[in-house]
Amino acid sequence: MDRRTVLKGLAGAGGLALTGGLSAPAIAQGAAARTLRFVPQANLANFDPIWGTQYVVRNAAALVWDTLYGIDAQLQPQRQMVESEETTDDGKTWTFKLRPGLKFHDGEPVLSKDVVASLSRWAARDPMGLMIIAIQQELTAVDDRIFKWVLKQPFPKMLYALAKNNAPCSFIMPERIAKTDPFKQITEYVGSGPMKFAKSEWVPGAKSVFEKFADYVPRQEKASWLAGGKRMLIDRVEWIVMPDPATAAAALQNGEVDWWENPIADLVPVLKKNKNINVDIGDPLGNIGSFRMNHLFAPFNDVRARRAVLMALSQEDYMRAIVGDDTALWKPLPGFFTPDTPLYSEMGGEILKSKRDFDAAKKLLAESGYSGQPVTCLVAQDQPITKAQGDVTADLLKKLGMNVDFVATDWGTVGSRRAAKTPPGQGGWNMFHSWHAGADCITPASYTAIRANGDKAWFGWPTSPGTEKEVTAWFDAKNLDEEKAAVGRLNKAALDDVVYAPTGFFLGYTAWRKNVSGITKGPLPFFWGVAKSA
Amino acid sequence: MLSYILRRIVATLPVMAIVALFVFSLLYIAPGDPAVVIAGDQASPEDVERIRQSLGLDRPFLIQFGSWVWRILHGDLGTSIFTNLPVSTMIGQRLGPTLSLMIVTLLLTIVVAVPLGVVAAWKAGSLIDRVIMGFAVFGFSLPVFVVGYMLAYIFALELEWLPVQGYTSLNEGFWPWLENLILPAIALGCVYIALVARITRAAMLEVLQQDYIRTARAKGLGQGGILFIHALKNAAVPIVTVIGIGIALLIGGAVVTESVFAIPGLGRLTIDAILRRDYPVIQGIVLLFSFVYVLVNLMIDVIYTLVDPRIRY
Repeated sequence: MDRRTVLKGLAGAGGLALTGGLSAPAIAQGAAARTLRFVPQANLANFDPIWGTQYVVRNAAALVWDTLYGIDAQLQPQRQMVESEETTDDGKTWTFKLRPGLKFHDGEPVLSKDVVASLSRWAARDPMGLMIIAIQQELTAVDDRIFKWVLKQPFPKMLYALAKNNAPCSFIMPERIAKTDPFKQITEYVGSGPMKFAKSEWVPGAKSVFEKFADYVPRQEKASWLAGGKRMLIDRVEWIVMPDPATAAAALQNGEVDWWENPIADLVPVLKKNKNINVDIGDPLGNIGSFRMNHLFAPFNDVRARRAVLMALSQEDYMRAIVGDDTALWKPLPGFFTPDTPLYSEMGGEILKSKRDFDAAKKLLAESGYSGQPVTCLVAQDQPITKAQGDVTADLLKKLGMNVDFVATDWGTVGSRRAAKTPPGQGGWNMFHSWHAGADCITPASYTAIRANGDKAWFGWPTSPGTEKEVTAWFDAKNLDEEKAAVGRLNKAALDDVVYAPTGFFLGYTAWRKNVSGITKGPLPFFWGVAKSA
Repeated sequence: MLSYILRRIVATLPVMAIVALFVFSLLYIAPGDPAVVIAGDQASPEDVERIRQSLGLDRPFLIQFGSWVWRILHGDLGTSIFTNLPVSTMIGQRLGPTLSLMIVTLLLTIVVAVPLGVVAAWKAGSLIDRVIMGFAVFGFSLPVFVVGYMLAYIFALELEWLPVQGYTSLNEGFWPWLENLILPAIALGCVYIALVARITRAAMLEVLQQDYIRTARAKGLGQGGILFIHALKNAAVPIVTVIGIGIALLIGGAVVTESVFAIPGLGRLTIDAILRRDYPVIQGIVLLFSFVYVLVNLMIDVIYTLVDPRIRY
């Protein structure tokens, strides 16, 4: 073996790997204006919107799969794939008729049997779906376009359940795909939505591509969030994952991408200065910051300890830590429900609105029996929002005289450890931080974090019969006034028992190049109606 | 030579086995649970358990390890827990960008660092030497991401000469491929150039003291010939060694560089997989990296024989 042989061999091996179909084909210059390059909030690591409930999966799925109903900007369910529906006087039987001409991306028509299979798979994974299953008598296809859902008792929130944008949404898939075990991933991504998923170009963690579905039949109404006519004005959408916000900002400024879903607050001033970029609030429903206390173990198994924390907690500290000094991006939240939505309530919120009183809080904490035992506080450092909240909480607890065991870790570990019901010293925990999309906190329907049914509740396992009673009252409510009254009482009960500690309401920006038009504010990025000029 | 190479390749098997056991054990005892990540925030413990069962994560360690090794022996790296794609496919998708980045960085390093080291040794003690060594210290001290941001700001945002991010396949043309790699390669190469330049200088200084160099000068040989033909070849063994060792530096640095420049390579895949606890992907990548490292060492040993005929195996 001589030097030349070695060099030739290396060059050959390298060249083979570098040219071997390792990236997406280039698009022609003329097509650039019809291609929208979008930087999503996270990596599309999987693409089964029932199996994986991450927001990014839901957002991508909304392009590919359609729903029977869609939630509009007024938070009302509107018909989408459905042409009409009927319900019997006793409210127990729902009969739905599909719009004519609906087609899947493989050319097959959308039939009732597809809907039945899809709803069955969805219902097995969705909290509202599970409620329906619990009272379901039968779900059957009557003919190709009509299907029927017969219940043992009325479920007034049926249309909301089918329209809601909280993951998992009730996306409609072909029967052969929808018959997949809901706890296993699908392998075919065939929907009937306005865009097709280009699986061959999918590089998880880097790029996902969607192409316009020529046979999509949009509704005649104007598009409004997930409702109305989803008219695609662009032929191709490329989702380009950029883990580093600084890179995404630079790429947007340089015109290498067209739309960045969620620029971080620190970089927004730079983007605002650029004459080619628009910056605006992305989702008016925002987010609700939270830290949850473990109700099973001392000190937070005593409501006085939980209330002591709430009395001392400054939401402004939390919000400034998360979004900085831009006061347009946050507001105090003396409750649990999303501000500026119909059910928003401040009932019982005095504990968060009154002056912060550390002396009273310390006194209450002492009354709870707290005597300096370590408080295990899980803080994910790889999530800016939880890290910021964790730092504020550690300071708050120290000021209250608590002995903080600050566990700095990553989100994956928090996700796993928070499920442990063992005592804090044996692998359990006392508190962790999170946040909830405002869209999930509009009603109690999909607001898992507000539930207080002990073992069945979200992590922290709060027990608050008063809260649960009002959740039921909301489900049974017959009109908006009754719903508002129930949610008001729910808000108070949940604050009295401190189901969790809300740290405030905060918004985020979205940014796009000025040659892109039609971007609307909403709980997810909507691509219908978006156009791009050269 | 051929039998030596074969023996070395066979010797990689126990190394790979130890790496495999180590990686698998480490991931098994590490905190975090992919089922929890998959199930999402709203999931009940029962949902998480069902997902864990469907992924086979509820089985005992030895059974999980045994079935993984069995698959590996059949050439199957497994399937990603999250994407449901074969790990080999995912690695294949990411190999090109990382390989490209490494090759360009390697070439850049050799082209820049070796001449710098040679010149520094030739002008040892002079201002040129100090400037070059000062640059080496500077390059070695700066974190990759700082260099990356600076380069992107100057050459992409201000001068608009090069793109900020991304990767273009060589299939789409040499320049589109190269223009995406120039800034990342410089950012990644800074530490490497500094290291190789310093080692080259040290090795050259030693060689330049040798009698045969004095003899070459006495015979009237030109400076270039002395430096690059006689001295450099004899100083090559430590330089080649450092270049080889530096491949590990490149693998580590690629993780950061690929994130900063949004290059869809193996480094980013590694980080994503670790954060999500995508065990099969982590295991596959670590095995690949270990294999590459062992292979690079083998190549270095072979290259020794090419640069120094006295070395025989």
